[in-house]
Amino acid sequence: MLNKQLLIIGAGPAGLAAAIEATKAGVKDVLVVDLNMRPGGQLFKQIHKFFGSSAHRAGVRGIDTGAEMLKEAEELGVEIWLNTACVGFFDERVACIEKGMPDGSKQILYIKAEKIIICTGGQENVVRFKGWTTPGVMGAGAAQTMINVNKVQPGQKIVMLGTGNVGLIVSYQLMQAGCDVVCLVEAAPGIGGYGVHASKISRAGVPIFTRHTIKEVKGEGPNGRVSEVTIVELDDKWQQIEGTEKTFEADTVTLAAGLKPVSDLVRLQDIELVFNGPFGGWVPTHNEKMETTCPGIYVAGDTTGVEEANTALEEGRVAGVSAAEALGAISADKAEAWRAEIWTRLDGLRMGPFGEKRAIAKKEVMDAFPGVAEA
Amino acid sequence: MKSYDIIVIGGGMMGTACAYYLTQEGLKVAIIERGDIAGGTVSHTDGYIGASEKQPGVDSMQGAESMKLYDEMRKTFDYDFEYSENEDGDPIGFVYFCESEFEFEKAKEQVAKNQALGIEQYAVDPYILRQLEPNCAKDLTGGMWVPKDGAVCPYRVAFGFVEEAKKTGLLDVYTRTEVTDIIQDPATKAVQGVVTSKGEFKAPKVVNAAGCWSPFIGAMVGMEVPIEPRFGQLTVTEKTGKITQNRLALEYGYYLTKFFQDGERPINPLVKAFNVCLNITSDLTGNTIVGGCRLFRGFSIKSEYKIMQAVAQRGIRYYPMLKNFNCIRSFAGIRPFSLDHLPIVSDVEEVPGFYMACGHEGDGITLGPITGKLISQYVTGKPLQFELAHELAWSRWQGRDIAAYKAREEENSKALKAIEEEIVKSLSQN
Repeated sequence: MLNKQLLIIGAGPAGLAAAIEATKAGVKDVLVVDLNMRPGGQLFKQIHKFFGSSAHRAGVRGIDTGAEMLKEAEELGVEIWLNTACVGFFDERVACIEKGMPDGSKQILYIKAEKIIICTGGQENVVRFKGWTTPGVMGAGAAQTMINVNKVQPGQKIVMLGTGNVGLIVSYQLMQAGCDVVCLVEAAPGIGGYGVHASKISRAGVPIFTRHTIKEVKGEGPNGRVSEVTIVELDDKWQQIEGTEKTFEADTVTLAAGLKPVSDLVRLQDIELVFNGPFGGWVPTHNEKMETTCPGIYVAGDTTGVEEANTALEEGRVAGVSAAEALGAISADKAEAWRAEIWTRLDGLRMGPFGEKRAIAKKEVMDAFPGVAEA
Repeated sequence: MKSYDIIVIGGGMMGTACAYYLTQEGLKVAIIERGDIAGGTVSHTDGYIGASEKQPGVDSMQGAESMKLYDEMRKTFDYDFEYSENEDGDPIGFVYFCESEFEFEKAKEQVAKNQALGIEQYAVDPYILRQLEPNCAKDLTGGMWVPKDGAVCPYRVAFGFVEEAKKTGLLDVYTRTEVTDIIQDPATKAVQGVVTSKGEFKAPKVVNAAGCWSPFIGAMVGMEVPIEPRFGQLTVTEKTGKITQNRLALEYGYYLTKFFQDGERPINPLVKAFNVCLNITSDLTGNTIVGGCRLFRGFSIKSEYKIMQAVAQRGIRYYPMLKNFNCIRSFAGIRPFSLDHLPIVSDVEEVPGFYMACGHEGDGITLGPITGKLISQYVTGKPLQFELAHELAWSRWQGRDIAAYKAREEENSKALKAIEEEIVKSLSQN
């Protein structure tokens, strides 16, 4: 059994920010574990410039933010284990870790941590239609990882389902990577994401079919791969209208139908969850310190409700400061002032037509918090 | 107000079985369940069925009778509940391992008693044992083979009972509905219905089939029900193919620890601390499921990693090749442990119209059918399925000092907990 002051699960923006902030506040013994080969979570595939205010690094590409955070964490002496999965989570904050070793083997370790921050992020939703398990049907995030991280085209001719910001941005990046995006399909009457992204796609001559969905995917390509995609129009009640089918030749279908919080680890503890539609499903309730109902266990980022990288980062900072306070590294007054500053920025991120819904959702999740249970 | 001939409280194995056999008698039945059908113990267990892991007598008899009913069900049910069978349509059997002369002698005694009751089981020497289970350890003293025991998919059995009962048009199922009180005639104490989170239901008869939670239902009619939750935990491996050839392989110590506090097993401290006994099966999908333990943890069903370690050690002791495989999952559940090791299945004399179908610790999947059948016979006044069945009646607790039973059990479990804590402490110091 290994003892750690602070264990952070997930090295995305929330996890890295939590580690940096806790270390800055004086916590000495911080370990971050991540399942992937490189830290940074989704930041490392986000080659586009972010929107928003300059305080939140607008105009900076996600990939650069990730690299900077990683450098800062390393300079502060944060220990980061990659290729390392948390495979069990037991009472008294004991985590079972499968550590990736340099020779490619795995080693099982138990870590007892005084405080734990869970930053496991979100995962893509799937959409079920006839042929949805055909090879070549994948999440838009998977396609984005292939082009931006692994430098591999997911396919030649691609149909994108969903026109939220993920659907729009990934479509454009696929085009930049030399793929032929056949069309975008959207069930709602209007485009889900920012108009500025949509117009880039329209200008390139790619059609966007609103009030449409995928009816069927045929897998008659090589090795049973996608060969044909049939889309169909929807009526006001979201029902398919017979006779409106259009069929396209394609070898890949990418699904951008939203994300849901990854709450597997949270569910292994007596942590109270609430269902929240705008946040993507079941999320742990927490207080303004990001502490859950289970004492000593904190959450941050998309695990607490799907938002975006900057809010994840700021929430990570809050959790890092709170863990440092609970470990006695800084005084309550100092932590309180530090948190207030971060919360002001967080409130700023949750403003405007897109942010307001998230502000309401976050309030609902926090209002449902019944208090931290007795240890 | 909705009105029924009989209300069954609980939609687990007992509740659904009772509902099925009661509708077969032409009665109008409602199942009232706090969560979902098969959502409690039924979905936190394996699905072994058999007469062998029971004490000779009424216990093994009810197992044998239930196996006959399962045989009937697999022929008559349209709903497939994954009854295990070989090419000849026979169940695939259980094998028990004895690792000492003491265990082998105990096994031989059990075989002789059950054979006298007409239950098919055999004591086997190490040579035959290796034919039956080629992958088992080479140093075993002997074993026991029960060719007619098998397995089912537990929640599919419960769903099957519901679906088959619904065909009669006599069953209504109310899930997400919690019983909060039982309505009784103030003078005669006879039941008249139940109060639930979704309103009142009227019925002259009510069955308590609430498993681990049956003491709460019993208390509503003033009964002290001697049942406590007993914790168990299973580990699932990655795909292994068929490590076990039989439907289930267990150490004979499993049987011994179930009924007796054995001090005879040559086991290491971790295994002793958590009262772990091996039961293992390679299931239909090619994963191997390894268990198990019997502990008192209240109503918690959280897995504990120390138990996983102990289970793994016990698994490797009997199947050395297991050390090459990864575990992918672990899950725990609670069994309704009856303080005298026998289920309570009968009417209740002091509360007219109230029936008990609970306390089947670890045998509920096997005993669902016979329990449902017996309750239907109590309700309709027909003769009971087998002669010894009256020994399961609630009346056996009349005149017994339940508090003393509970105190003894509590002392036992405290002693076990003390041993556990002491061992865990000494292990962590090394």
